[in-house]
Amino acid sequence: MLEVKFLKKGSAALFLLALIFVIAACGNQPSSEETGDTGGENTSNEEAGEAEGSNDGSDYPTEQIEVLIGFDPGGGSDQLAQVTQPHLKNHLDGSFVNEYKPGASGGVAWTELANNIESDGYTISITNSPQVLTNYMVNPELQYSLSDFDPIANVVTDPAIIVVSGDSEFSSYEDFANYLEENPEGLNVSHSGVGGDDFFSLLRWSRASNLDVEMIPFDGDGPSWQAAAGGDVDASFNNLGVVYSQIQEGNLKALAVASDERSDMLPDVPTLKELDVDVVAGSSRGYSAPKGIPEEAKKELYDAFEQLREDEEFKTALEEAGLPMNIMTGEEYAEFLEQEEESSSEIWEEVKGEYE
Amino acid sequence: MNELMVGLTNVLSLSTLLALAGGMILGLFVGSMPGLSASMAVAILLPVTFEMDPATGISMLASLYMGGQYGGSILAILVRTPGTPAAAATVLDGYKMTERGQAGKALGTSLVSSLIGGVISGIVLLTVAPVLGQLALSIGAVELFAIAVLGLTIIASLSAGSVIKGLLSGSIGLLISFVGMDPITGTPRFAFGNMYLFDGISFVIALIGLFSIPQALKLVERNKEIVKASEFKDKMLPTWKEFKSIKNTIAGSSVIGVLTGLIPGAGGDTASWFSYNETKRFSKHKEKFGTGYLKGLASPEAANNAVVGGALIPTITLGIPGSSTTAVLLGGLMIHGIMPGPTLMTEHADVTYTLLWAVLFSSVFLFVLGLLYTKIAVSVTKIPGKVLAPVIVLLCVIGTFAVNNSMFDVYVMFIFGIAGYFIDKLNIPVAPLIVGMILGAMLDTSLNQALKIGDGSWLIFLKNPVSAVLLIIALISILQSTPIFSKFMRLFIRNNNQSLNQ
Repeated sequence: MLEVKFLKKGSAALFLLALIFVIAACGNQPSSEETGDTGGENTSNEEAGEAEGSNDGSDYPTEQIEVLIGFDPGGGSDQLAQVTQPHLKNHLDGSFVNEYKPGASGGVAWTELANNIESDGYTISITNSPQVLTNYMVNPELQYSLSDFDPIANVVTDPAIIVVSGDSEFSSYEDFANYLEENPEGLNVSHSGVGGDDFFSLLRWSRASNLDVEMIPFDGDGPSWQAAAGGDVDASFNNLGVVYSQIQEGNLKALAVASDERSDMLPDVPTLKELDVDVVAGSSRGYSAPKGIPEEAKKELYDAFEQLREDEEFKTALEEAGLPMNIMTGEEYAEFLEQEEESSSEIWEEVKGEYE
Repeated sequence: MNELMVGLTNVLSLSTLLALAGGMILGLFVGSMPGLSASMAVAILLPVTFEMDPATGISMLASLYMGGQYGGSILAILVRTPGTPAAAATVLDGYKMTERGQAGKALGTSLVSSLIGGVISGIVLLTVAPVLGQLALSIGAVELFAIAVLGLTIIASLSAGSVIKGLLSGSIGLLISFVGMDPITGTPRFAFGNMYLFDGISFVIALIGLFSIPQALKLVERNKEIVKASEFKDKMLPTWKEFKSIKNTIAGSSVIGVLTGLIPGAGGDTASWFSYNETKRFSKHKEKFGTGYLKGLASPEAANNAVVGGALIPTITLGIPGSSTTAVLLGGLMIHGIMPGPTLMTEHADVTYTLLWAVLFSSVFLFVLGLLYTKIAVSVTKIPGKVLAPVIVLLCVIGTFAVNNSMFDVYVMFIFGIAGYFIDKLNIPVAPLIVGMILGAMLDTSLNQALKIGDGSWLIFLKNPVSAVLLIIALISILQSTPIFSKFMRLFIRNNNQSLNQ
């Protein structure tokens, strides 16, 4: 009898212990992500350190660099981080740890970066344009702006693309444009949400081509192309990397890309420029630091990103992930963001009446 | 056919079997903790799998997903604190059984239902995935709206006792779902300029507050009463007779689970309510639901595991995530260098078929490991309420914080917790509120999109055959629960009788 009682008590205690263990494990959850992330990195890091050493005797970085990600793990920003950082750390001779703070389309993380983060160069954030700057245009409640950041480098630019369903009656951009000439606002076109990159790409295209469509907002790139593939809408403004495999499979047809030159991935698809519509647009992702980080840190970071340009392994990794490389560092990236802000705000001022 | 065998041999390798077992244990554990959901666990484990072979890593994540779906039900049944949103419907009959001293039977039934749901969805996945994938693509805004409306009629059947209170609760749920950015205009609604409210109130966080906090308070209030539950001596596995009585329910609910999984954005949380409602609708003993009825427990349990296979169908055939967990899984594939999309079935067929077999095999692991884990977990009911309550609260805080790494969410959770306590005291059913929150966003977005697509004409919902049929079913089920309907029926029968007499 006594034994039985003891057993019962014992099992209860065991379960409590298990609970406590879980609590401890959960309490460490962010750091368990860290170990997951850096466990491999640290070891290879040492190797890199031995192989390359510090290039110019600079101390930066002496600590782990925290990367603030304003979206969920597994999303586009996380994908960029997972592809870029294993290569970047070799050139920087440092290591990275990701921290996810999703909310308000990245607004939560960027507000924190602008207002609460020490400018010591040990916390940087993934900045998506145009989202990072259209966010506070569309929602003036957000307490940050571009001037709060030191842009470090852009890494990829996924050009905007116009796609229609695989069995659509439109087989070229001309068909599409001609139909709209005759039937203004006669087509439903989906985009990934008000204030997002596709929304602004669509408006830019509309201004440049003098064509009007009925804009249907969806919640993200995925639902937006699905609506086009399923015939719910007539076309979708999307991003090349997102819809590439669907185009390959024939679920979608690409009419035009909004890049400077034709893409290597889709060499048969004309650019909007070729079609006399002067629009270059897309979704870019890069890294920014809070304003005023030490010059030394800035320089080291710029150099590391510059070296990525020539890193063959990195290029292959980007290609596999369907992300077109577009490295711009320092001033060049800052100017790019300013231009984006200027053109986006011009467009927003024009249309914002409809969205308030 | 060849890829099918390659996948099978991949799964049967030692490393993959170990990964499946490991994923399952972790899934059961994480799933059973209030606040830690399957999608969160998949996200946490993602970086760990980078070092593994893609097929092994993804199999582990699938097993974790399956384990998490079941694990959520354990504490839902034992202490009325659902570990995952998908287990919220399990509380209705599962906890009632525990109160009657049938905790063992409840857990056993839930395990058997989960096993069968998982196996059925695994078989569907292996055989007809490509066909069903195209079906997922054809679900557009118009159909989604009709599905959401039909879903809202569930509120009527969940309003045990008072219809008025049920409707009140459902409306509050709908209202809460409208907090956050308007999907059409991008303007924040009811956010009061607070950026933490721009994305709305997370359903997971509200759920933790609504269920777990009031339960913790209750445990303290009636410290002794709860001991009743610990005196369970019944056998865990249901008898053959009991199993025969629920086998049709399980099969039907598994089908509903697979189909709900197909709908992009609807996962286990939606499926369990849908199937609970449909089982009740077609049952001869409607009054028994919510009193600890075996069918009422088996139905959501089978459905929320069948969702795993269903949600994976559009994920692997088209690259469209069928639920939030598969969305994270997709991210994992991308990071492994596998572009999600139609090429998964061709170029990466070895990985994909390994994943499909893994879903089937993980169900078996679920049964064996689940049985062991559940036996240990039952002892949680022996812990005095005074001790258990603070542990639950602590877990809630940790789980809530972990969702977005945000303290704001923890405050929101406590507000819901305190509100939930008084909602309970006022005898307002909390289930309609949850259904309202799940379906509100879907309803709002799809209605706006459909109207824009249809140039503002409401006729678009009747022109589309699928949505027309669904809306008519919804109308009938609403009329069914009004007094007018029964009066009308009585009148109709009397008239018939009169004409017969003449």
